[in-house]
Amino acid sequence: MALPVSADATPAAPARPVSARHFVRLKLRVMANNFRGQGWRIAMFIGGALLGLWFAASGFFLFAAPGLTDNGRYAVLVAAAGGGLLVLGWLLLPLVFFGVDETLDPARFALLPLPRRTLVTGLFVAALISVPVVAVLVAASGLVLTAWSLGGWSAGVVAVVGVLAGLLLCVAASRAVTSAFATMLRSRRVRDLAAVLLAVVAALLGPLQIFGLAALREADWDRLAGVATVIGWTPLGAPWTAGIDVAQGRVWAAPVKLLITVVALVALLAWWSRSLESAMVGAASAGKAPARRGVDGGAVAQLFPRVAGWARRDRFGALVAREARYWWRDARRRANLITIAVVGIFVPVMINVTGGDFAAVGDEGFTAAASDSSPVVVTISMVFVGVLAAVTLANQFGFDGSAYAANVVAGVPGRVELRARITAFSLYVLPMLTVVAVVLSLLLGEPGWIGLTAGALVATYGVGLAVNCLVSVLGAYSLPETSNPFAMNSGAGLTKGLLTLLAMLASAVAAVPMVVAAALLGDAWLWLALPVGAGYGLGAALLGAYLAGDVLDRRMPELLATVTPRR
Amino acid sequence: MTVEHPALALRGLAKRFDGTIAVAGVDLDVPAGSFYGLLGPNGAGKTTTLSMAVGLLRPDAGSAWVLGHDVWQDPVTAKRLLGVMPDGVRLFDRLTGAELLAYNGLLRGMDPAVVDQRAAELLDVLALGDAGRTLVVDYSAGMKKKIGLACALLHGPRVLVLDEPFEAVDPVSAALIRDILTRYAAGGGTVVFSSHVMEVVERLCSHVAILASGTIKRVGTIDEVRGDRSLEQVFVEVVGGRTATGEELSWLSR
Repeated sequence: MALPVSADATPAAPARPVSARHFVRLKLRVMANNFRGQGWRIAMFIGGALLGLWFAASGFFLFAAPGLTDNGRYAVLVAAAGGGLLVLGWLLLPLVFFGVDETLDPARFALLPLPRRTLVTGLFVAALISVPVVAVLVAASGLVLTAWSLGGWSAGVVAVVGVLAGLLLCVAASRAVTSAFATMLRSRRVRDLAAVLLAVVAALLGPLQIFGLAALREADWDRLAGVATVIGWTPLGAPWTAGIDVAQGRVWAAPVKLLITVVALVALLAWWSRSLESAMVGAASAGKAPARRGVDGGAVAQLFPRVAGWARRDRFGALVAREARYWWRDARRRANLITIAVVGIFVPVMINVTGGDFAAVGDEGFTAAASDSSPVVVTISMVFVGVLAAVTLANQFGFDGSAYAANVVAGVPGRVELRARITAFSLYVLPMLTVVAVVLSLLLGEPGWIGLTAGALVATYGVGLAVNCLVSVLGAYSLPETSNPFAMNSGAGLTKGLLTLLAMLASAVAAVPMVVAAALLGDAWLWLALPVGAGYGLGAALLGAYLAGDVLDRRMPELLATVTPRR
Repeated sequence: MTVEHPALALRGLAKRFDGTIAVAGVDLDVPAGSFYGLLGPNGAGKTTTLSMAVGLLRPDAGSAWVLGHDVWQDPVTAKRLLGVMPDGVRLFDRLTGAELLAYNGLLRGMDPAVVDQRAAELLDVLALGDAGRTLVVDYSAGMKKKIGLACALLHGPRVLVLDEPFEAVDPVSAALIRDILTRYAAGGGTVVFSSHVMEVVERLCSHVAILASGTIKRVGTIDEVRGDRSLEQVFVEVVGGRTATGEELSWLSR
């Protein structure tokens, strides 16, 4: 039936334009629906909100301290350093730990006839609706108090504008960076480049460390104030210091700093908007891997990668082989491995080498560095790395999602399952940890400490595995099936953060004996640390797999249900 | 065996999600050697029922037996006899087809040599050999169904439970899957599958059950259920569909 179609094929412009208001309402509605009938989620949310409020309150008093004490000397320092830390935190924490809330997944908007500007504005405004944003707002309002008490209402008003702009900057930075990295990690071609870039980003932790440690040591305050002034002129510190500048009589500086902020904000949004496009097209842009022909060997031989070639061709071996393949082939897991590698190297180096270095420079000019570190400090930094490595497994079943059904259908015993997962993960992590231990000892100029560093690492990693085995069975949650390795489900954000913190805390506590031994046993510990640490770690990991495996046997279907994304 | 157990027996299976009842007490006996079709509209509870029957979803009430072995009390034995292809569930799709088959075979405790031989045969018969080193995630929907079927068949199960095996499959692949299932049933295996494609069910099945709103509405051999009408007429009548009168949606035509 061929009806005459009117010649005017362009659809009429919609009567009601879409604005950011719709995105905000959509986000609120999705959040509310996620809570429906899930008491524990509401409890988690309230718990997280209270935690955020607590941090916000302490941040507020820190920022307001110069104003409350009526001491303008350190106002710029506090504003620039604190504000800069906030921006850096927003930049780095999503990449390293928490992921980014994808309540509104950009891919869902791909089919809607929305101009990109509307979409970016809408998603951006919707991203502002979150507990961390409120917490930062509360904390940063301390700056307003400072500016107001030092310079009257005009400075206060400028500070309000500055703080709001800074907040926008934080959110835009976190969105732009995670989105860009997600795009890079998705594409098979440039993923190695992405790893390098991530390393550079993590290297930004350096200035942060220097600041923290130097401030703790009460190094030269005027020198720090100079650094703070410089930071105040970068986008990191500009929005936060504008109000203080007005208060201290540098009125001309405020508009310039606000302009710097706005330019940075616009640049970030433009960057985000570009990578958003590829996120919306999604996996289609990733391109297919070339279908290599000429398969050699049987199916079983193909399953086992070279790293797992030693494994027996049985159930345990198959699990190890598949996990080993997944840690490399799954973008989400690979991102985690890269994070461990980067943070594992950089953080201990910062703590033990750079920190000492800077303090030495700050105090007496150029003196030999590194002598500053002690076995206890080294052990503590190793505990941090071990905990970070192991906590990757806290939601190991969430990585699988509904694919875990295959193991449930096959009736894999829980202990075999967990032991295999630990083994496969360790195939990647143990070599990394070895490198960390050796490199750090050499950098410190104390090759004799290799046993100490390696022992602390292995022990912490082992107890961390034990804790995270239990957490992964009892506290699993589903990850969205998007191609963004940093994405996580709405509502799960706080849950994830709390669970991760809890698991890390428990692992760290379990590793305390290593620190105590390093403090008390002296030189003998340099020799004992490795065998004792290895035994402690291995025993703990096996015990953890044994206990958690028992739990897993009883709740396999429940676990499958919790890791299956709701559609 | 002195007593002939049904291949799959369900008694009073029930499940509720967040206050809504998905399955409200399903009783079903699937005779050994039968080709059993579970029919139902979208949201009738087919997937929920089959998931509870194979041990993927813990029922609120009721139990399931595979050839006399309780799925929830003695899961190891029951799961050994079962081959399952769930719907709406991802495979471990970052593996290639061959790797996925090897993984499933070894997971079932099979001998590696047997796995190699059967995997090669299955890939060949299902025309998946050409995919080579392509990851399953890059397969088309039809290819994913076929590799899922291969995984379910690999260990030679006595009972095959398939959820929507013909959804999103092109006619050529569908014919292939039909052939393989017919051969499997002729060899003494039992097939249970869910579908809402009437033609396939009418052509293949010896028995059908119609599920709607979480309960079984009709059950029996295909001739008993359809009587002298077509299966589709019976189905629409049982489910209670509505037909458009032509008044609404008038803006669709211009």
